[in-house]
Formats: sequence, C-alpha cells, structure tokens
Amino acid sequence: MTKNNFWSPYIAGTGLGLTLLATFYIAGWGLGASGAFSLLTSVGMNQVLPDFTRGLSYFSQYLNAASPLKNWMLFEIFGVFLGALSGALFSRNFRFRFIRGSTTGIGMRLFAAVTGGILIGFAGRLARGCTSGVALSGGAQLAMAGWIFVIAMFVGGFIAAAFLRRLWS
Amino acid sequence: MIGPLNMSQDTGLLIAIMLGFFFGLFLERGGLGNPQKLTGVFYLTDFAVPKVMFTAILVASTGLYLLSDLKLLDMGRIWIVQTFFWPQIVGGVLFGIGFVVSGYCPGTAVAGLASGQLDALVAMIGIGIGSLIFALLYPMIEGFYQSSAMGEATIQGVIGISHWVVLAALIIVAGLMFFFMERYEKKTR
Repeated sequence: MTKNNFWSPYIAGTGLGLTLLATFYIAGWGLGASGAFSLLTSVGMNQVLPDFTRGLSYFSQYLNAASPLKNWMLFEIFGVFLGALSGALFSRNFRFRFIRGSTTGIGMRLFAAVTGGILIGFAGRLARGCTSGVALSGGAQLAMAGWIFVIAMFVGGFIAAAFLRRLWS
Repeated sequence: MIGPLNMSQDTGLLIAIMLGFFFGLFLERGGLGNPQKLTGVFYLTDFAVPKVMFTAILVASTGLYLLSDLKLLDMGRIWIVQTFFWPQIVGGVLFGIGFVVSGYCPGTAVAGLASGQLDALVAMIGIGIGSLIFALLYPMIEGFYQSSAMGEATIQGVIGISHWVVLAALIIVAGLMFFFMERYEKKTR
C-alpha cells in the first residue's frame, strides 16, 4: 500500500454525515451525483443532435426545464469538484496520474474505467440514483430504497471482485 | 427556523455549491477519491468505504430524526427517496459490478479527477455513455423501471416500529462491523 495522509474514516464520515444533514435541513432533499451526469449528457447531445435528443423521452425531462443547466445537483457536483480539489491541494495529495493495480496496464485500466463507467451510468438511472442519491441520502432517511440498493451493490461488488481478482492487486 | 428553508433559485444554487464543497472535501480526505481504497472493501483489503459511508449515514439519520422529533424540521416537506424494489435490486447489483470494474462511483469519480486522476475522467465519460444508453433503451425498459413501486417506503413504516428502534439496531450492527473491521485490519497489516 502507498503511504497516504488521509483522515480517519470516522472523522471524514462524521463530516460527510453533518453535510448531508445540513442539506436535508436547508434544501429538503439529500446529496446526489449520477443525475448531474445524465443531465450534462442530455444537454451535450442536444447541442449536437437536437431533434434526436428531444425525441428521447428520458432526456427531454431535463431539456424541458426553463434553463436546464440551472440545476441544483449540477451546482452541487461543481462544489464537490472544488471541495475535493482543495482537499487534495492542501494535503499535497494532488498528482496527475492513473491509479491501477500493479499488474494492470494503462490500456486495460482505461478500458475497465470506461466499461465500468457505462455500467454505473446505466445502473444509476435504473435505480433512480447512485451511492450518493440512493445509498447515502436514502439510507439516512431509513428509506427502503437506500438499504436494498446498499445490499444489492455489495452483492454485485463481491461477485465482480471474485471474478476479477487481479484487477486491483 | 423550521427546515427545510424557503429561498430563491439563485440562493439555492449558491448553497448547492457550498454543500457540495464540503461533500467533496470529506470524500477526498476520507480517501474516497482513490480507486484502490474504493474497491478495497470488495477484496477485504481496505474498509474505508463502509466506515465512511455507514458513519455518514448514521450521523445524518440520527440528526434528521432528532430534528424532526424536536419539531425543528418538517419531515412532511422532506423529499424521501422513492422505492422501486426490483429496479433498485437489479440496478444495485449492476452498479456494484461497475463500481469494482471502473474503481469509482459518480461522486467519487469527481473527487478522483479533482485529485489529478485521469482514469477518473475516463470513468466519467463512461457514466455519460451509460446514461445515454439508458435513455436510448428507455422505451423498452420503462415497464420494468416503473414496476414494484413502493413510494416513500421506510424501514420503520414497513415493519411498523419506531424509527429509533431501527436506528438503534443499525448503530449496533455498524458498531460491531467497525469493531471486526479494525481487528481484521490489525491482523492482516
């Protein structure tokens, strides 16, 4: 394992929990992430192929808003980038790099990143959110959605890890 | 002041950036921008994900129900995450597989990119493509997507017990889990 200067996971978790609580109190909903990717994809596609994109009923829900980019979750994700960048810079953890298993080549790593990303992007839409919007936010609300998603996600993750033993070693 | 607060759209967007800032800061500082740490739990080598995640869930949950019981927060105006049983089971399993393969989830990929990781950018492009594939297939899977709807179902609502009983049980389970994770990490280190 490489040496790192990360905080105790319990301290970071408490900070994250208080941030989520503040979000519930102020905004009336939780934190999210995958929705911002779906929104940005629909807006980007609409620039290139407007008629085709507006014909996709799932994407038109974003595009029918008065100003699609003035979206709460999109701004929140912009904040996530700024916050993580500050954390990485101030702790000297910022480096341009590819993180991969010791036996995984860069080509294989990028293929896995995009393939896994596609799965996540699709699965996040099917489940109506991801680790942030459903697992974390729904979990804290004690919503059924949050806990069934968490359990299913760990089942899927352990199955994948059993078949991909060397990807991250 | 009883939450949630009323504010203009622009104020709301400004607050979204601020709340996101702390979300990203704690994700990065907790090590959740690093795919080695993110996937570690599935190989039983690093338990950062469950430790950060369940600590955050229990802190936020205790605070949420405490504020609600003290009448400082109107739970009726909180947007509860909707349950669609089978789509969330299938989505969760596929998501877990994608998590191990890509090394990230959507929020942690943003934190990874902000730490300089170019593999996170590639994963983010994949997430966009996955969303597009969903939108393309939507007419075919809409029936399944809308199936087994349970609305704003909560654990306490389904079982018919107090939310404090559910929370106490979750805190005990998480505490035991943390105890065994620490012991296991000490043994294997």
